[in-house]
Amino acid sequence: MIDWMQNLALIEMAITCGVIVTWLAQSLSDRTFSFPVKWFMAALVTNIFFWPLGLGMELPLAAYVRAVTGDLSIVLTLLLWSSVLLPSRPTSISFKLAIILVSFMFYPLALGLGMIDPYAWGYSSLGLLIGVLVFALVCGITGWTKGVWIIALAILAWVGHWHESTNLWDYVLDPLLAIWAVMALANSMQRKRRVKARSGYLFRAG
Amino acid sequence: MSRVLSLCFLLLTAIMGFLHLDSRPAWAPFAELAPIVIEEPIDQEKSSKTQQSSKPNIAAPISNWLPDTGAASVHAASLIAMKDGAIRAFWFAGSREGAPDVIINSAVYDPQSANWSAPTVVIDRLAAQSGLSRYIAKLGNPVPSRMADGRMQLFFVTVSIGGWAGSSISTIISDDEGITWSRPQRLISSPFFNLSTLVKSPALPFADGRLGLPAYHEWIGRFGEFLRIEATQVIDKRRMSSGRSAIQPVVFVKDPQTATALFRQTRSSELAKQIPVSQTLDAGQTWQSSEDLSIANPNSAVAGLTLGNGIRLLALNNIEAGRYRLVLLMKPAQADQWQVVRVLEDEEALPNEQRKEFSYPYLISANGNDAHLAYTWDRKKIRHLYFSPAWLMQAYEQLALPASDANSKQGQR
Repeated sequence: MIDWMQNLALIEMAITCGVIVTWLAQSLSDRTFSFPVKWFMAALVTNIFFWPLGLGMELPLAAYVRAVTGDLSIVLTLLLWSSVLLPSRPTSISFKLAIILVSFMFYPLALGLGMIDPYAWGYSSLGLLIGVLVFALVCGITGWTKGVWIIALAILAWVGHWHESTNLWDYVLDPLLAIWAVMALANSMQRKRRVKARSGYLFRAG
Repeated sequence: MSRVLSLCFLLLTAIMGFLHLDSRPAWAPFAELAPIVIEEPIDQEKSSKTQQSSKPNIAAPISNWLPDTGAASVHAASLIAMKDGAIRAFWFAGSREGAPDVIINSAVYDPQSANWSAPTVVIDRLAAQSGLSRYIAKLGNPVPSRMADGRMQLFFVTVSIGGWAGSSISTIISDDEGITWSRPQRLISSPFFNLSTLVKSPALPFADGRLGLPAYHEWIGRFGEFLRIEATQVIDKRRMSSGRSAIQPVVFVKDPQTATALFRQTRSSELAKQIPVSQTLDAGQTWQSSEDLSIANPNSAVAGLTLGNGIRLLALNNIEAGRYRLVLLMKPAQADQWQVVRVLEDEEALPNEQRKEFSYPYLISANGNDAHLAYTWDRKKIRHLYFSPAWLMQAYEQLALPASDANSKQGQR
């Protein structure tokens, strides 16, 4: 990674932190924030995370977050940014399911279970690239255009070596994306069950 | 319309992705070891501070200490031959292992005067975190290497959170043989927040000039990995072992396709305390575990070296528990059995609480027919031993004797 790109990575992390704080604020608030308010809030928090604050800290706040998480995948980053800062419909359940399935197979193997290491495929495997492209194509066919854009941009970032990693997996998947998928799926299933129960109460035969 | 646009963009990135994959270098064989004929004994009249040699006309190994930095704890020394024939050492020093004040030191050994230079600081925690643009809590093992273009490269362990299981590898490059260093760069080698990859053993060159860096994980799994490095990037990696039983691989290359890796065992107490082994027949692309090397290992690092004539050396603690004994073993190129050629440290006679730790050996050769060994001495000092070609040849000749003496059996225990 070229030296000045470390600053870009730090800006990217600071924006992500700004977006997460905005999303948390929205989740905890009774009012719905307008997009200008969300943008302003995200920009404000981004600046707080990016610039060194002193206060006994040797680095900007974003550098501490980056020390723990590393560079987040492009898929998670763009999904998060677009979901909070742009008008968007909820991510499809099938996308979340796919992320969960892949993660449950991928992480145990990649972290040392057996001699097969799927993470190594991310360096030069044609099969993995084709798999990611097919996944994006399915997103497009099923009408989730944003998913196509996000995955295409992730591939572009990998080709351009945007992050420190040269591994395609690091651009399309990360543990936080997997955790988000699990929590979001559980949340949406719970919501569906609640709606179903309520509708059953209202319309049951009687 | 939006969907068509997005699919067109996907097609474009697909083409770029395929071109990118196509530009990736193919896996290369290991670099050939240059055949080096062992020369006649060179002048080694320096006095030995350690032990006797069995023949009086051959100088005993030269013993030295790496310079004292005043740090309470030192560990993980490593060595590299410099272009002018000198040896540069790296090690970490601080108030204790894993403390925030740990720095990576370096010093140069002049083979003419048999002295070490004053120590210099290569990098500290603050410089590392400034260069890497992220918080760094502590520094760990340094491992130097030589790039294809002749520059010196240092891989070192950094931790941002937690213990050594939270390690990542970073690297710096020097254009002036280790006097000044570039800004550090992070190697990405794990999909889980890039956690838990460490280095201990020297890298080996591929025929295409890239490096193969033996690394290991010690978090959920404890296993070896073989990283293919291009400058400051991991461009491929292969698993050398699996499970939770083998770390710190040391690789012996036999020919451009064949190599053997020996590991430090980290097995549970009921399993054999011996050296796990993996082998590759395709230049490190795939590794298979094979039968243990029947030398005792107390969960302690092993150092290895192949000389120019194919003779192999090992430095290790050949005991099942503790690190109070360190030995040098030798094996001819075509033989199967390792034999102890020198007991470097041995405190078996002392009570357990008085025994010191002799650990983390690191072996290199400056010219293919000598050997330099550095190791941690009671965590307080780093000891350096120089084995001349003459001494090594003498040890080799003694190996050839039938029914070798009792010492030669120790390695087989």
